[in-house]
Amino acid sequence: MRKTSRFQRLVSIASTVAILVMAAGAAWWSSARADSPSGKKDPASRQWAIVRVELPGSDESFPRGVGADIAASQCLICHSAGMVLRQPPLTKDEWRAEIMKMRSAYGAPIPDDQVDGLSEYLQRISGQP
Amino acid sequence: MQRSLLGPLPQSRRHFLAGFGGLGLSGLFGALAWSGTEDSVVFPFVNGGRNLVKTFPQKGAMVLQRERPPLLETPFEVFDQGIFTPNDRFYVRWHLANIPTVVDPAAFRLKIRGHVKRPVSFTLDDLVRKFKPIEIAAVNQCSGNSRGFFTPRVAGGQWANGAMGNALWRGVSLKALLDRAGVKTGALQVRFNGLDTGILPQTPDFMKSLDVDHSLDGEVMVAYAMNGKPLPLLNGYPLRLVVPGWYATYWVKMLDDIEVLDKPDDNFWTAHAYLIPDTPHADVVPGQQGVKLIPINRMPPRSFFTNVQDAAKFEVGETKIVRGIAFGGDAGLAKVEFSADAGSHWREARLGPDHGKYSFRQWDVDFRPSSSGPQTLMVKALTTAGESQPDRANWNGSGFMRNVVESVSVQSV
Repeated sequence: MRKTSRFQRLVSIASTVAILVMAAGAAWWSSARADSPSGKKDPASRQWAIVRVELPGSDESFPRGVGADIAASQCLICHSAGMVLRQPPLTKDEWRAEIMKMRSAYGAPIPDDQVDGLSEYLQRISGQP
Repeated sequence: MQRSLLGPLPQSRRHFLAGFGGLGLSGLFGALAWSGTEDSVVFPFVNGGRNLVKTFPQKGAMVLQRERPPLLETPFEVFDQGIFTPNDRFYVRWHLANIPTVVDPAAFRLKIRGHVKRPVSFTLDDLVRKFKPIEIAAVNQCSGNSRGFFTPRVAGGQWANGAMGNALWRGVSLKALLDRAGVKTGALQVRFNGLDTGILPQTPDFMKSLDVDHSLDGEVMVAYAMNGKPLPLLNGYPLRLVVPGWYATYWVKMLDDIEVLDKPDDNFWTAHAYLIPDTPHADVVPGQQGVKLIPINRMPPRSFFTNVQDAAKFEVGETKIVRGIAFGGDAGLAKVEFSADAGSHWREARLGPDHGKYSFRQWDVDFRPSSSGPQTLMVKALTTAGESQPDRANWNGSGFMRNVVESVSVQSV
């Protein structure tokens, strides 16, 4: 049930945000003309088209519980919740290792005093669909 | 052996399609990976439920692993439809969430700088018009393809087998571009950077490096077309590095900056990420300490069933075509072998057209069960370099380089 409704929400979001793809392919290979934004014709623009897309957002959120606020404020800075929610069941120590990697390798600003609470929360929710 | 796999259907295949195709894909693949609804799949590992989405630009139905930055897996049924993976079904993997959503080709430049005699900058038009194009069919496979099957499980993108694809890449050899700039004596590595960046300023920019000799081998290329069309933005429009035979982590997307280095690259993504144990098959025992780590590199061979999955039913005495795809990694396929008895006996499969040593290649066999009951079918690729797939799955903490012999459990009635 939950999956279906999430999917339907995604679809409705996508249809309202109007994904715009300005025919990258056809223009180039058929040597159709495409103008640069300034209106000037660059030699390259005769073969290549501007590509403009919109990437869908994520409406997935972390399950409620102690620590969910930390996950929401920290993890979602760099990636959507789905990355976390699709992990296999991991132990608290394995989650702690992931958190420490996010801090040391990618610069996640997770304060020392939130690491334990976040590890516990992630261990508790991990593996749940 | 010489029967065309792409030509008219042989009698037995028509039977096969009639017998199984009538159920539709959900019937054919129903037992495992494609259970669920048309909007979802369930991979055969814990927490394997995934939605199929069509919400990403220039992409058809894809298995959603993560929205931001996008991780999209190719539904496995696509691999049964041909050995070239369509651009709109080709898997997607980004590390960093700041991905340009507008690319103006007129303003785009590819720069070559660093330890060179003449720093240069090319327009896309330059690449198309001023250099001889080359074409290579090559498999692009994520280092962590199939990570979800690792036992014990490991953290990371929980892919099934669809974080791979095969395309005909067209572009300019990296050697030709580097020759234009003139690599200076003493150059050691060449570092590749694309337009994507991290959200946080302290997140290391995604860059990868190859040794100079590898960069000058004439096969590594800067691709501007994929299967005869410009690359989808999510696959790296307008330019992507193609490193035939090597894992996709090196195939830098939206490539706009090439820097020749006179010392080893110490950036995070080259020096500290994508490392594998320096052991056969990158295999270690869980918990094993003190193993030397090296950057992931060449791909080993793999082979897959594409029209049969676990719990498929066959009729005793009736011949069906069982087929799939295989690739040799960084060497050509010598042969593909099939076993109908869990690996006790092997026989050679027919191979489809050869599109070069880096490409997928289709294989098929006639399969005629002689008695009823469960059977384990296996497939194994062997390369011209004498390498084959291991019987036992490798394991490492990053979930890299899985290439165990694939098997499916079927029933004959």
